[in-house]
Amino acid sequence: MIPETTGPVVLFSLPLAAAIVVFIRPRWSVPVTLGSGGILLATALWVVVAVLRQGPWRQDIGGWTAPLGIGWTVDGLSAALLLLNASVGLAGAVFHAARPAARTPVRDPRFFWPLWLFLWGGLNALFLAADLFNIYVALEFVSIASVGLIGLAGGSAQAAAWRYLLATLLGSTIYLLGVALLYGRYAALDVALLAESVEPELVTVVAAALMTLGLLLKAAVFPLHFWLPAAHGRAPPAVSAVLSAVVIAAAYYLLVRLWFGPFAPLLGPGVATLLGLLGAAAVLWGGLQALLQRHLKMLIAYSTVSQLGYGLLVFPLAAAGAVQLAWTGAVMLVVAHGLAKAALFLAAGAIVLRHGIGRLEALGGDQQGAVVAWVAFAIASASLVGLPPTGGFVGKWWLAQAALATGGYFWLAVLMLGTAFTAGYLWRALQAAMRPGWETEGGFQALSPALGLSALGLALGSAALGLAAPIAARLLDAGSGVVG
Amino acid sequence: MGVAGVIFDGLLALALVWLAWQATRAADLFHAVVSFIVFGLLMALAWVRLEAPDIALAEAAIGAGATGALLLSALDRLATRDGYHRVLYEPTTAWGFWIPAGGALLGGLTLAAWKLPAPGLGEEVLASLKLSGVDHPVTAVLLNFRALDTLLEIGVLLLAAVTIWSLGRAPSPLVPAMPSPALPALGRLLFPVFVLVAAYLLWRGSHAPGGAFPAGAVLGAGAILMLLAGARPWIRSSEHGPWRWILSLGLAMLLAAAVTGSLSGLAFFEYPRGAAGPMILLLEVAAGLSIALLLFALYLRGEPCEHGYREVGS
Repeated sequence: MIPETTGPVVLFSLPLAAAIVVFIRPRWSVPVTLGSGGILLATALWVVVAVLRQGPWRQDIGGWTAPLGIGWTVDGLSAALLLLNASVGLAGAVFHAARPAARTPVRDPRFFWPLWLFLWGGLNALFLAADLFNIYVALEFVSIASVGLIGLAGGSAQAAAWRYLLATLLGSTIYLLGVALLYGRYAALDVALLAESVEPELVTVVAAALMTLGLLLKAAVFPLHFWLPAAHGRAPPAVSAVLSAVVIAAAYYLLVRLWFGPFAPLLGPGVATLLGLLGAAAVLWGGLQALLQRHLKMLIAYSTVSQLGYGLLVFPLAAAGAVQLAWTGAVMLVVAHGLAKAALFLAAGAIVLRHGIGRLEALGGDQQGAVVAWVAFAIASASLVGLPPTGGFVGKWWLAQAALATGGYFWLAVLMLGTAFTAGYLWRALQAAMRPGWETEGGFQALSPALGLSALGLALGSAALGLAAPIAARLLDAGSGVVG
Repeated sequence: MGVAGVIFDGLLALALVWLAWQATRAADLFHAVVSFIVFGLLMALAWVRLEAPDIALAEAAIGAGATGALLLSALDRLATRDGYHRVLYEPTTAWGFWIPAGGALLGGLTLAAWKLPAPGLGEEVLASLKLSGVDHPVTAVLLNFRALDTLLEIGVLLLAAVTIWSLGRAPSPLVPAMPSPALPALGRLLFPVFVLVAAYLLWRGSHAPGGAFPAGAVLGAGAILMLLAGARPWIRSSEHGPWRWILSLGLAMLLAAAVTGSLSGLAFFEYPRGAAGPMILLLEVAAGLSIALLLFALYLRGEPCEHGYREVGS
């Protein structure tokens, strides 16, 4: 019987080892990435089952315990995000391997694979880490890999990558300032140790403010979202998928970890309402912008700004007393969004490849070769809007219950209005498929069915999350030790 | 600390602030880059004053040396396009936002730093030093207690090199022809000294300030100097040949050491009993080599050529 502590070791080491291999031997890229991707998905599932069976655990690195050493925590929250990362990582790799090489926007395909695997490994390292400085290094890892991947699309994407680099480095630096203050104050970097000793006093408040600001910038929360639409809209499709689904969720994950862990004593009604208002503004502003977009990928990119706003509603609802419901609801929503959003970007990638153009009004007409992609788009849209029985529905239902239980009718209204916006902009995209289209020159080029199928797999996953709601609730209850 | 020390530190702090302002606000880019390099050197001095010689070494080699060389060569590439040098900073209209925001940040940080008890973990590190396999606390932290951080940091360096390679090819020829023969001659003469210093720093790391990062930085800086002296780089992007292996060596060895722990029934990254000392030395050598070559690869400003470079000036 292999102990469950092997799971994190594989999740951490395998992507990095595979990245080295494909850097040294580029011609092995596709088999190595898909092979290790399969193993990583299976391992992530195993870790989820292990958490469901025996609850969360902690493992020390190098045989040293905190505060001297570093540890990993595996609980429901991190297991859920590890599984999300593995699903999107594998689907994106399948999509990228199946794309027609001649019409790909990727400038230099050799470098996609090592960067992809490095990003995968960095994200896994981040979701496992239980140490604030280790988290910082993992954040840097994720940022640089993301910048490289965005830039691969060449042209205007390189300018977007540059802006993203500046924004995300600023975010990391501000976060690091906060970490330094906390270390100076408590002589500890371990999240669990800090949660035991934090007191609400000046140094902690400044540190919490800095770290939150840095992470809000990285999560592209309104009004710090300025860098996101160009970066996510112009990157290659698989890259847009992982950025919107997992990289953004990683920053959100840290916000939740910190505010329901070490910073919990500081989460008064004022802070919570402020964060909630930022979320509400993001929901409405992002939704409005998505409605106005004319390019399919830009529409989806603005939708990310909007959807992440829901995640921030957890703070006011939890502060008002409905901790359990708000927490599971928000995390469920973010995970369901991740799967659905990655499906949308991959489907959009296949559709744009089919039509040779991304403008909404040009996507109609003959859909031969893009039918599966449109089906995936529709299912993912259903989850994003929150139609039963999808994961998006369950997440919104729990959040709505939390709002009703605490009398937070304002937050309920935001939830409803955001849903109306989401339905509106996704309907615009789906409607484009049904209109008579433009005559595309050069006719239609056969595309690999794997493009649409990779999107369909993620979309079905997002929908199935709703059917698995009781299991998901149990998993997330095994989340942060502070909750419940 | 005497009065002279206080005065020196005060002047140092003032100079740092002034240079930082110059580096960010000078209208002439060359002026800005030179200010930045001097800033790096004075910063190294500040680290010496703070009794952190390890960081001082790294700051001088990377902050002033390697980064300075990179900035200067970027400037050189900009010069071939128009619109170079006189980058006029558009007067920001958002002063109404930045001054209060910056002021609030600075005020908050100062107030917080004032109240810091700053206990640190120095005593815990010293208490466990005997078990770590090395005698120098910094090396013990970097390669034993918090080796996972080091693994990821070396990974970041490799990742940065891959990212830069993905942006395009290195320019060829790599450096402009030198007008004076003095620098090339000096560079060739000095390179053995760089190698010697790097090897010494690496060996010293087990019991005194030194180790893989400073050693790699010194070696990398020496290699950059050789490049400036007109040596054609021997590093290729080709799949054949040892370069990709050496670039990945540090990360690969750290990863292997980490997994060895798990495979032998210990914790991830736990060194087998008694083997910590030799393993750390091995890891330091591997990491030092990789760091040197990675810094050099960063300086190439793009993916190296597949086969070879043109002679300078040809």
